[in-house]
Amino acid sequence: MTTITARRRRGNVLTLAMLAFLIYFLMPLFWLFVASTKTTGDLFSSFGLWFADDFSLLSNVRATLTYGDGVYVRWLLNTLLYAVTSAGGAAALAALGGYGFAKYRFRGDRALFGLVLGSIMVPTTALAIPTYLLFSKVGLVNTPWAIILPSLVSPFGLYLMRVYAQDAIPDSLLEAARIDGAGEFGIFFKVVLRLLMPGVVTVLLFTLVATWNNYFLPLIMLNNPSLYPVTVGLASWSSQSAAGGGATGDLLALVVTGSLLSVVPLVAAFLLLQKYWQSGLTTGGVKQ
Amino acid sequence: MRRARTWTGYLFVAPFLVVFVAMLVVPLAYAAYLSLFKDQLIGGTVFGGLDNYARALTDSRLLDGVWRMARFFLTQVPIMLGLALFFALALDSGVLRLVRLFRLGIYIPYAVPSVVAALMWGYIYGPSFGPLAQLADKLGISSPNLLSGDFALGSLANVVTWEFTGYNMIILYAALRAIPPELYEAAAVDGAGPWRTAWSVKIPAIRSALLLTVIFSLIGSFQLFNEPQLLQRLAPNVIDSSYTPNLYAYSLAFTSQEVNYAAAVSFLIGLVIVIASYTVLLATNRRSKP
Amino acid sequence: MIISKRWLPVLAVLSLGLSACAGSPTTTTTPAAQNAGQADIDKAMTTPTELTFWTWVPQIEKEVALFQKKYPAIKVKVVNAGQGEPQYTKLRTALKAGSGAPDVVQIEFQYIPTFTITGSLLDLRPYGAAALKDKFVDWTWSQVTGDGGEVWAIPQDSGPMGMLYRKDIFDKHGIAVPKTWDEFAAAARKLHAADPGVYLTNLASNQNAVWTGLLWQAGAKPFGTPARDRVTINLNDEHSQKLATYWGGLVKEGVVSTDADFTDQWYQSLNRGKYATWLTAAWAPTFLTTSAKATSGKWRAAPLPQWQAGQQASGNWGGSTSAVTKGTKNPIAAAKFAEFLNTDPESTKMMATQQFLFPPTKALLADPEFVGQKPEFYGGQAVNKEFAAISGTVSTDFQWPPFLDQVVSDWDETVGKALGDKGDVTAALGQWQSRTTTYATNQGFKVESK
Repeated sequence: MTTITARRRRGNVLTLAMLAFLIYFLMPLFWLFVASTKTTGDLFSSFGLWFADDFSLLSNVRATLTYGDGVYVRWLLNTLLYAVTSAGGAAALAALGGYGFAKYRFRGDRALFGLVLGSIMVPTTALAIPTYLLFSKVGLVNTPWAIILPSLVSPFGLYLMRVYAQDAIPDSLLEAARIDGAGEFGIFFKVVLRLLMPGVVTVLLFTLVATWNNYFLPLIMLNNPSLYPVTVGLASWSSQSAAGGGATGDLLALVVTGSLLSVVPLVAAFLLLQKYWQSGLTTGGVKQ
Repeated sequence: MRRARTWTGYLFVAPFLVVFVAMLVVPLAYAAYLSLFKDQLIGGTVFGGLDNYARALTDSRLLDGVWRMARFFLTQVPIMLGLALFFALALDSGVLRLVRLFRLGIYIPYAVPSVVAALMWGYIYGPSFGPLAQLADKLGISSPNLLSGDFALGSLANVVTWEFTGYNMIILYAALRAIPPELYEAAAVDGAGPWRTAWSVKIPAIRSALLLTVIFSLIGSFQLFNEPQLLQRLAPNVIDSSYTPNLYAYSLAFTSQEVNYAAAVSFLIGLVIVIASYTVLLATNRRSKP
Repeated sequence: MIISKRWLPVLAVLSLGLSACAGSPTTTTTPAAQNAGQADIDKAMTTPTELTFWTWVPQIEKEVALFQKKYPAIKVKVVNAGQGEPQYTKLRTALKAGSGAPDVVQIEFQYIPTFTITGSLLDLRPYGAAALKDKFVDWTWSQVTGDGGEVWAIPQDSGPMGMLYRKDIFDKHGIAVPKTWDEFAAAARKLHAADPGVYLTNLASNQNAVWTGLLWQAGAKPFGTPARDRVTINLNDEHSQKLATYWGGLVKEGVVSTDADFTDQWYQSLNRGKYATWLTAAWAPTFLTTSAKATSGKWRAAPLPQWQAGQQASGNWGGSTSAVTKGTKNPIAAAKFAEFLNTDPESTKMMATQQFLFPPTKALLADPEFVGQKPEFYGGQAVNKEFAAISGTVSTDFQWPPFLDQVVSDWDETVGKALGDKGDVTAALGQWQSRTTTYATNQGFKVESK
């Protein structure tokens, strides 16, 4: 009996402590929501963590979506395009490659894999500047490809998939399929891919987050605001609201509301795909 | 048959490797090539050998930035990973309530783009109108300017901690869930309490996951760019163009037009990261050996 | 050999990159291009053409429409690639890359030499630009004119500096509008002593342009380019020292604030009345109307205080031009577009009255419809008239360095930092001078200084 009450008390204390931390992690998001219900004037004059008298969320959302001929919607669609194609491509390449490294032995496989793994440490700027210069020679700068192509490489994704494939695909299954006379690629698409799915989804989510959040690469690659992803767009609004100038007006409220809107899709994706990222991450974290 | 399968291996990894070479190896090689030249407004491009590297090693702005990030790594990362480990153990403890809520709530910031996180925190830090200053005002204390010289690095560390604690927590939590039950049974026989179990069974069992988070955080720290770049506007005198090595490389390439020197600087940043990562790996390997 | 085929594009990219690097542009003086005859111009203006125009002027599509109405064959694509520095960064990388640069681009006066040193701008004389000289206020024209008489751009708007002040605060504390910097300093002390929450002005520690504008007013000549490969840098001469002692002193005394400008906090402070004056430019009156709504009716405009009583001098802060890039495939159409935009009576009037850009043309500065405006925000004062008069007092011989970004970023981290930290501004001048000199030397310039 005593141990149960002790356990319960311990649980209470721990839960309370965790609640305090939870407030820290959710406070900025709560602030963001509250702030996007305010006019620019109220943003400065009312208390930041509670609503002002005017509830302007809807008018802010409308203003955000329609400002500059609806350029914000364009940014969201661009982000979606870049994120989905890059993540899909990266996951496919990583699945093929990870499986190849996991289940086939070939000359130089270890060295190649080591090279890929080591590349995780390459700083983004070291790549972005030469990539920019090379892309501009072949006319890729200021096109969606400038964002998508570099995002197709996910060394960490390859690593995850290799670990996952080693674990999830028993060799006996492959041997059985081969005895049945299936070709190597047939085996991959008919048997292996299904088993790899949780890993693929994890990599997909990883790269989705990475491209959704990408800022540095599009910042230097794109000149044309109608190609911006939402991150660069918001940053440009933010700097425009800072530079002011008579005609820019109430951009600050738009930056805040636009920030809120940009967060919603990813949060929703995370809520919906919980099962996958949790099971997938187990692989990456534990088995090395 | 055996031979054929070897070729199949190549075919499976080829698509990845082709893109890898084109998007990573080639730009890197090009950067290495660029870093050997000097491009001047007057005089054009001349071969300079390792001049750029020599200059970088004595460039106090670069060295200050590296040192700042080293301090950042040594303070922010232990706090962040300490918290992440604590949360993961709490989630795994079996006595915590509302596990799902905590798991999601703490992880959510990872889904927030760093641009948005920096804009948001920049506003929250705002003197006089930011919520923190307002709270301090209500409590009758004067709040310091959180983006002034003494506080800026801490404020930056807070943004990064907020963004990535949940991410690390999930990695560690996933690792904890995968610990084989036999390990616990042994501990239970010994009569170990929850703290002892955590310390002597759970943490050693997820050592490799912990190492992974340390290495990732190390890479992240030394590559810090988005957050300082966006907070720069709010604290231009504190967060200058060489505040982080990555910011410095960017401003060299795009403001100072010293692309070649920037390439050399980027290379050295990469080198610092590689050396630091191996140091961490070696140190932990040695300790794990009896 | 599938692999090697896949490698081909990669190799192509690589070799292209290498050759491009080796053959980097080292353009020297512009060869005097053949003057375009009227026949060439007529032909160019009736041939279907698309021009790309980078600008951050909001709603400039209206003026562009006027141009397209007159020249239906020519289509102008307007792109906002960022305001100021972000745009220059993109422009420079596009120029370096050799693709993606616009035909016509908005460039602020101070950045023109930065882009002419790399041979990136087109001399507009062959397209009849020299004849436009008399339409523009002298100092704006000298700003767009190169050392060899080239016309590098057409002025679009300007920012002669004056002082906006809060009449209500001045009245409340019995402060007269300071005519000299001595009076200004005395007023700063008096005001702050009377009300510690208020500062006579805010000298933003991140705003190099104001510092340079004040240098300009003081008669300094910090930069010069006696030849393409020679540059003079005098950031630590007697004018700068005078400025540093003056402002450094006021800042150290704590009677002048140094908040970063155009930040949320700064807007707040303007609205709350933390600053009793703003040392600013001719575009500011309209700017303030929208960003400090709460203070309507309380502001007035006056010239900058002077170093000597009775003197009339000012500097410039901001203002832009339209320049044509060297790589354009349609130089005539591009040059004519830049000309039209900034000289056509309807277009220029629109910019002055709808986008509220402060005009550089003599015609508008004398136009009653422009200078006669008496906005409520300024208690009915004819502020444009005030600034039109100031525009005539800006000296014509101020020059900019051929690497302005670097100079500005060095200022931020030396003089600006010293202002922000209430440090030693005079010592910071020395650092500014030495950092800029080091950069210039590294870039291959022969540096001269007094």
